[in-house]
Amino acid sequence: MKEPTPTPLREAWVIFFLLGVVMLNFPFIEIFNKTTTILGIPTLVLYLFLGWPLSIGVIYLFSHRLENTSAPEGSGDEDRKDRQ
Amino acid sequence: MIPVATVATVSLLYFALLFGVAYYADKKREAGKSLISNANVYFLSLAVYNTSWTFYGSVGRAATSGLDFLAIYLGPTLMAFSWWFLLRRMIRISKEQNIVSIADFISSRYGKSAPLGAVVTIFAVFGIMPYIALQLKAVAHTFDFLSLPLRTEGNWQSPFSGLPPFVDTALIVAALLALFGVLFGARHLDASERHEGLVAAIALESLVKLVAFVAAGIFVTYGLFDGFADIFTRFLTEFPERRHLLLLGTPQTPHTMWFTLTFISMMAFMFLPRQFHIMVIENSDEEHVKKAMWRFPAYMFMINLFVIPIALGGIILNGGDTGNADYFVLHLPLQAGHPWLALLVFIGGFSASAGMVMVSSVALSTMILNHLVMPVILRFRMPGSNISRALINLKRIGIVVVVALGYGYYRLIGESYALVNIGLVSFVAATQFAPSLIGGLYWRRANLKGALTGLVLGFVIWFYTLIVPSIVRSGWISSDILETGPFGLVFLRPLELFGLQGFDIWTHSLFWTMFFNLGTFLAISLLTSPNRSEQEQADKFVDVLTPQETALERKRISKAPTVVEFVDLMAKFIGEKQAHSAITEYLGNLEIDEKGSLSEYEIPSLKRFTERTLAGSVGAAPARIIIENYLATRGSKMEDVFDIFGTVTISRKASREQLSVLYEAARVVASGGEVQTILDNILDLARQQFKFDLCVIRILDPERMMLTVRSQKGMSSEHLGESERELKTDTYIGTSFMTNSVVVINDTDFMDKDVSAQIIHREGIKSFAHAPIAIEGEPIGVLSAFSRSTKGIFTDEFVQLFQNLAGQVGVAWRNAQQTAGLITAREQERELQIAKSIQLSLLPTSLPEIPGISLAGICVPARQVGGDYYDILCNDTGSVDLVIADVSGHNVGAALIMAETRTFIQATAKTVRGVSTIMEELNEFFFEDLGRAELFITMFYLRYHTASGMVNYASAGHNPPLVWRFGTESCERLDAEGLILGIKQNVAFEERQVHLGPGDILLLYTDGVTEAETPDGDFFGEERLCSLLREYHALPPERIVADILDQVRLFTGQHNFYDDISLVIMKIEAATNSMEDR
Repeated sequence: MKEPTPTPLREAWVIFFLLGVVMLNFPFIEIFNKTTTILGIPTLVLYLFLGWPLSIGVIYLFSHRLENTSAPEGSGDEDRKDRQ
Repeated sequence: MIPVATVATVSLLYFALLFGVAYYADKKREAGKSLISNANVYFLSLAVYNTSWTFYGSVGRAATSGLDFLAIYLGPTLMAFSWWFLLRRMIRISKEQNIVSIADFISSRYGKSAPLGAVVTIFAVFGIMPYIALQLKAVAHTFDFLSLPLRTEGNWQSPFSGLPPFVDTALIVAALLALFGVLFGARHLDASERHEGLVAAIALESLVKLVAFVAAGIFVTYGLFDGFADIFTRFLTEFPERRHLLLLGTPQTPHTMWFTLTFISMMAFMFLPRQFHIMVIENSDEEHVKKAMWRFPAYMFMINLFVIPIALGGIILNGGDTGNADYFVLHLPLQAGHPWLALLVFIGGFSASAGMVMVSSVALSTMILNHLVMPVILRFRMPGSNISRALINLKRIGIVVVVALGYGYYRLIGESYALVNIGLVSFVAATQFAPSLIGGLYWRRANLKGALTGLVLGFVIWFYTLIVPSIVRSGWISSDILETGPFGLVFLRPLELFGLQGFDIWTHSLFWTMFFNLGTFLAISLLTSPNRSEQEQADKFVDVLTPQETALERKRISKAPTVVEFVDLMAKFIGEKQAHSAITEYLGNLEIDEKGSLSEYEIPSLKRFTERTLAGSVGAAPARIIIENYLATRGSKMEDVFDIFGTVTISRKASREQLSVLYEAARVVASGGEVQTILDNILDLARQQFKFDLCVIRILDPERMMLTVRSQKGMSSEHLGESERELKTDTYIGTSFMTNSVVVINDTDFMDKDVSAQIIHREGIKSFAHAPIAIEGEPIGVLSAFSRSTKGIFTDEFVQLFQNLAGQVGVAWRNAQQTAGLITAREQERELQIAKSIQLSLLPTSLPEIPGISLAGICVPARQVGGDYYDILCNDTGSVDLVIADVSGHNVGAALIMAETRTFIQATAKTVRGVSTIMEELNEFFFEDLGRAELFITMFYLRYHTASGMVNYASAGHNPPLVWRFGTESCERLDAEGLILGIKQNVAFEERQVHLGPGDILLLYTDGVTEAETPDGDFFGEERLCSLLREYHALPPERIVADILDQVRLFTGQHNFYDDISLVIMKIEAATNSMEDR
C-alpha cells in the first residue's frame, strides 16, 4: 500500500474535504446569504459559526479513527525512523 | 490612559516571564526531559499563526469589509483536516533528511540545488518583511494608545521623552524581539535546529492571547451590550446601510475574494516560514499531529468568536467611525473606563506580535545563513579554520537583520495600509511556494528547472501586482503606473494585468501568480527531465511513507579520501566533538587517528552521511557544495561503476581493533589467575580500547537475588557503578538480565524508563549498553558499559563484539567456579587419602607362621577408605586370635576409631582371658566414642587353640563365619549372640566353642561379599560362598581368597565392589598321611 492509512478512511477523507470546499463557497453559501436573523443572529453568521464547530467535530472523529486504526502502524513507522 | 511607566513595566515583566519559561524549558531539555514534547504544547505553538492580525486586524476588517476575515481561519481549518497526509509526510521527510527550513526542504527536493535554495530564501525574506512590519506596527500603536491621549494617525509623538526622535516605540520593540530571537533561537548550532525554549514561550503566548481576547470579547458582548443578539439587532437598526458587513457576495467582499482568501490562507498556513518551522521542524512526534488536527481549529474558533461582536460594538459605540477599527479591541475597554482590561488586551496583542517576529526571524535567519551566506563563503574560499563560531554569530546577525528589515518596511510603507492588507500580501507570497512544494511531494517528474522557473515568475508577478501598488499608495512612486501602465503599456497595469478586469486585488494577484507559477512549473517539468540527484531525491520524498530499500549508490571514487579527512571536514563546521561522535555513530568504531582507508564501496555512503550531517548545520545545498568542492580539490571524481556481478555485495569489515580486543580478552581469561584480576583486566581492556567512561560487571547473588558489582572500571559513580541492582524490568539492566538479551541505548535523549533515565541523565551519559553474561545459555550476570562523550557507539557490529566480551566474562566466571569446586574436591580427597593410609596401617602386614594352619586375608575397600578391618594375633598360650570387623563410616573418624580398636585388642588380647570378655570390654570402652562419632562396629572374634583345635568365639552382630568341614563336605555357621558394638553400654556377649579338624576351612568375611548384587537384584549369599569353599578347598588359602574375589566380581559383573570386602581364611592342615594320599 502506498499509504499506511486504511483506504476506506482515505476515501471518507476525500469526500469530507470536497464537501468542506463546496459548503464554504459560492454557490452553496449563497443559500445562507441573508441578514434575516434567527434568534437575533444573522443567518450567514450563524451558518458559519455553527458549521465551523461541526466541521471541527468531523475532524475530531477522523483523528479519533486514526488513533484507533493506525496504532500498530504508528509504532512500525517509528521503528523505521529509529533505525536511522 | 495608563502611565507609560506602568505599561512599560508590565511589558518588561511579561517579557521576563516568557524568558523564564523559555529558559526553564531549555534547561529541562538539557537534563533530558522535554517539556514541550506533548500534543498540547504542539497545537498551542501552532497558534503562532494568530498574530496581531488576528488580534487586531480581524476586528478592523470585520468592521470595514465584513465577513471575509473569517476566510483566514476557515481555510486553515480545512487544511488541518489534511494534515495527517500532507503534514505528516513533510515531517517525516524533514526528519529523515535533516531538513531545517522550508528553503532547505524545497532545494533538497530538487537535487539539493543551491540556486533554488537561494531563490526561496530571498523571496521568503521579501515576502515576510511586510508581515513583520505589521507586527511592529501593531505593538507600537497599541503601546502608544495606551500611554498617550487618543490622537489621530500621522501625528506621532514619542511617549518616551528625552529620546532622539528617530527612536520610536516600534524600534524599541523590534530591538527587544530581536534580542529574544537571538537568545532562544541562536544560542548554539543545533544540528536539528530545534529550540525548545522558543516553542515553550510561543505556547504560553498562545494561551495568553486567547485569554486576553476572549476576556475583551466577553466584556464587550455582555458588559457593554446584552449579548450577541443585542449587538446584531442594534447594529442592523442603527446602521442598516452597513448590512453588507454581514454578507458575502457584496462589493466589498465578492465571492471570488472569499475563495481567494480561503485559498491563500490554506497555503500560507502551511508555507509561511514560521509556520513551516513550528509545524515541521520543531515537531517532536508525528503523533501529536493527530490531536492538533482538531484542537488547533478549535482554538481558532474560540479566538474568532468575539470578533464580530467587538467590531459591530465598536461601530455602534463610535457612531459609525471606523478610523481606528483595527484597534477596537483595545479602545473599547479603555473608553469604557477599564484600563486594566485594556492592559491585558495589550499584553495579548503583544504576545501575538512577539511570537510571530521571534519565530520568523529565527527561521529566516537560518535560511539566509544556509542558502545565501554559506554559498558565497564557499564560492570564494574553503574555510581554513574552524568556522562554527563564525556561523553562530552570523546567524545572530541574521536575526537582527531580518527584524531590522521589517522595521524598515514599517517606517517606509506600513503606515499607509491597514493591517490586514499588509498581511495578505505575505500570504500571497507564501502561496508561491505551494506548487513546487506540494508538487514535489506527490509528483515524481517535478524537476528543478520547472520549480525554479515557476518560483521566479510567481514572485515577479507577486511583486508587480501587490508590492508595486502598495509602494504607490505610500507615495513613493507616482500613480501613473497604476492608471496607464509602465511605459504606457496599458495591458501591463499592475492591477489589471493583461486586461483582466473586475476582480479585487487579491484574486487578481492570486490568479496571475498561480497561472505563471503553476503553469510554468508543470510545463517545464513535463518538457524536461530531472537529473540523477533530482530523481534520487524525488524518490525519497514521494515514497517517504512506504518502507523501501535504498539501492546503494554504486559509484567509485578514485583516489579515495580517508576517514580522517572526512572527519576533519566535518569538524570544521560542526566542531570536533560533534564530528567525532557523528563519525563514530556511522562507522562503528574505527580508530580515528589511524589512517584507515575503507573499501571502495563504503566511500559514497560515507560521503552521503557526511553531507547529511553537515546539512544539519549549514543546510542541504551548501553541504553538497562543500563535499563536492572538497572531493574536487583532492582530485577525485565520481565515476559510474559498472557492477560486474549485478548484485549488491555487502562488505563485512571486521575491524582489526575489534578482533584484537577479543583475542586479548581470551588470553586474559585463559591466564588462569584470580577471577577478580581477570574481571578487572577485561574491563580495563574494554575501557581502553573503546573509550568507555565506565564499565561494570555485575553477577547475580543467588541467595539475595540481586546483581552485585564484582568489578568496575572507569569514573566512579555511586549509582551506576557501585550499587547493586534488583531483578526488575523497570531498569535496563534488569530487563537485560531477565530477557537474556542485549539492551542498547545509543541516544540517551530517547529513553522510556524514567527511573533509569534520571540516573543516566544525572551522570551525563550519552549512550550505554547492557549485555547478559551467560553460562551455557543461562544468565548469571550483566556486563555494562557507559559513555559520557559519544552517542551511537553501539552499532550492530559493536554490539556483537560486546556480547562476545560478556561471553568471555562468563567463561572466566565459570572457570573460577569450577576451580573452586576442584579445590574443594581435592581437599576432600586429601582427607580420604589420610583415612586410607590410616586404614591400611591397621591391616596386618604379614601373617604369622603357625604350624598346622595356613592363613590368608585380604581387605578390598570399595571406595577410598574402607570400613573393614581384620587382624590375626598370636598369643603366647599357643592360640591364635582372629578378628574381623566392619565399621559403619568411611571417613577419617571411622579410620581412627578402628585404629584405636586394634590397639585395644592387641593390648587386651594378651592379658584378658576370655573372648567374650574382650568384646565386653571393647564395647564398654568404645561406647562413648562410638556414640559421639555416631558409628557402629560389627565384629567377630575367635580364638583357636592350636593344640586342641578348639575355637572360642563371640560375635557382635557380625555375619557368621563359615566353616567348611572336610569330613562332611558341608558348611557350618558360627553364630553367637551379641549386640553390635556402640549400641548399649553394657552388653553380654555369648561365647561358644567349636572344634576344627584337619582339612577344615574357616572363612571370616564381611557382608560386602554376601550382599554383592547383580543388576537384577540377586545377592551372592552364603550358599554360593559355601559352594566356593567346597570347590576351592584344596587350594592354598591365598588362592581361595583370590578366587572368591574373582567369583564375586564375575557375579556382579563389575570389577569394583559396592561395599568393602574382607576375607580371612584359616585352613587347618590335614593329617599328614591321609592328606598326601589324596
